[in-house]
Amino acid sequence: MSPATELMNCDEYREMISADPAFDGGAGHLSSCRACQAFRRDIQSLNLKIAKAMQISVPELELPELPEVETENVVPIAARKPFSKPAWFALAATVVLAASVGVRMFGVGVDYDSLADEVLAHLDHEPAALRVSSTPVTDTRLTKVVPADVAQLDHSAGLITYARSCEINGKTVPHLVIQGEHGPVTILLMPDEAVAEAVSLDGENVHGVILPIGAGSIAIMGAREEKLERIEKSVLNSVKWST
Amino acid sequence: MNTSSVEAARRRRFDRIVAVFHADMYRYAAWLCRDKAIAEDVVQEALLRAWKSLDALRDDAAAKHWLLTIVRRENARYFERRRLETVDIDNLTASQAALLAETPNEELDELRESIYELDDDYREPLVLQVLMGYSTTEIGELMGLKQGAVLTRLHRARLKLKEKVADEERS
Repeated sequence: MSPATELMNCDEYREMISADPAFDGGAGHLSSCRACQAFRRDIQSLNLKIAKAMQISVPELELPELPEVETENVVPIAARKPFSKPAWFALAATVVLAASVGVRMFGVGVDYDSLADEVLAHLDHEPAALRVSSTPVTDTRLTKVVPADVAQLDHSAGLITYARSCEINGKTVPHLVIQGEHGPVTILLMPDEAVAEAVSLDGENVHGVILPIGAGSIAIMGAREEKLERIEKSVLNSVKWST
Repeated sequence: MNTSSVEAARRRRFDRIVAVFHADMYRYAAWLCRDKAIAEDVVQEALLRAWKSLDALRDDAAAKHWLLTIVRRENARYFERRRLETVDIDNLTASQAALLAETPNEELDELRESIYELDDDYREPLVLQVLMGYSTTEIGELMGLKQGAVLTRLHRARLKLKEKVADEERS
C-alpha cells in the first residue's frame, strides 16, 4: 500500500481508510470524490459496530495461586524509571507557563484541586453539552474543534455528539461529548495541562477523573451511575497529542 | 526497604496493573482462541507468568503491551499442547457459542459471528486495532509483521465484514 498522499486514486484511498478508519491523509482526493466520502462514512460506521461487537462481557478477575518469588534483587518501584528528558522539559514548561499566569503551584505539577474545580465548574456553563443525543457531530465540526496539530482522534471512543472549543485555565481546549449508558459523558482534551497522576472529580451529580496522557491530560466526566473505566480506556486509546 | 515491604509493594504493583488490564487480556484471549473457557485458562496462565516475571517490566506505562504479549504467547502454547480442531460455526461447543451470544442485538450478533469466522490472520490485527487501540506499527511489532502486511490484513478484514453486513442487509 502506498503511504498517505494527496494524489491518491479511489483504490488507494479505500485501502488506507479500510485499513485504518482514523486515516486522515488523501484529503485532496477525498474532497473531490463523493463516492470515497460515502465509503469513508461506511467504514467508520462499521468500525464503531465492530468495536461494540468485540466488547464481550468479562468474567470477574480470579487470580491464580501466586508463588513466592525471590525479591532480594528487586528494584524499589520509586527508583524504577526517572523522568525522561522530554518529560522534564514538558513539566518545566508547564510550571513556567502556569506561574506566569498566576496559577497557584505546589510540588511538581499544577494545583490539582483548582484544575479539578475549574473542570467541574465548566460543566455548569454548557447545559447544551448535557443533552442526550444520537446525532453525531459532523467531521468538519470535529476537525475544527480538534485540529490535527493539537490531537489525532479516531472514532473508537464512541459516538461524538457534541464538540466545542472551550476555555480551561486560560487555554482553549476541545470539549467533546460521547453518549454513555447513563447519559452524556464529557471529555476535555487538555494537551497543555500536565498532571502527575490521575485526579478524581467529584461533583454534585457527576463524577470523573483527570488522566495524565503524555505531556497533557484528559478529563472524563459522566453521571454518578456511569461506569467510566471502559470509556477511560477507549478515550486514552483514541487520542494522541500531535505536539 | 526490607524484604516483606518489597514483597508487599510488588504485590500491590501487580494487583494494580492486573486490575486495569484484566479485561483487555481476557477479551484479547477470547478473540484469539474464540472460546470463553479456553480464554480463561489462557489468562490464568498469563497472569501466573506475569507475576513471576513482573520485575522484567521496567516501566508500568508499557504494562498493557507486556501483558498482551504474554497472553499471545500463552495462547500459542495452549494450542501447541492441544491440537486445534477446525471450528464449525454451526456446531460450536457451549463455551465457543458463549462468545457469540453476548447481547440481545441481532445486528451485533451477526457482526460478531462474522468476526468469529474471520481467519486468525485477519481477526487478530483487527482486535488489536479496534479493541486494544494499537497502531499498525505496534500491531506489526507484536505479530512480527511488516506494516504493509498489517495494513493489507486490516483492509481485507474490514472488506470481508463490510460484504457480510451488506449480504445480511440484502437478505
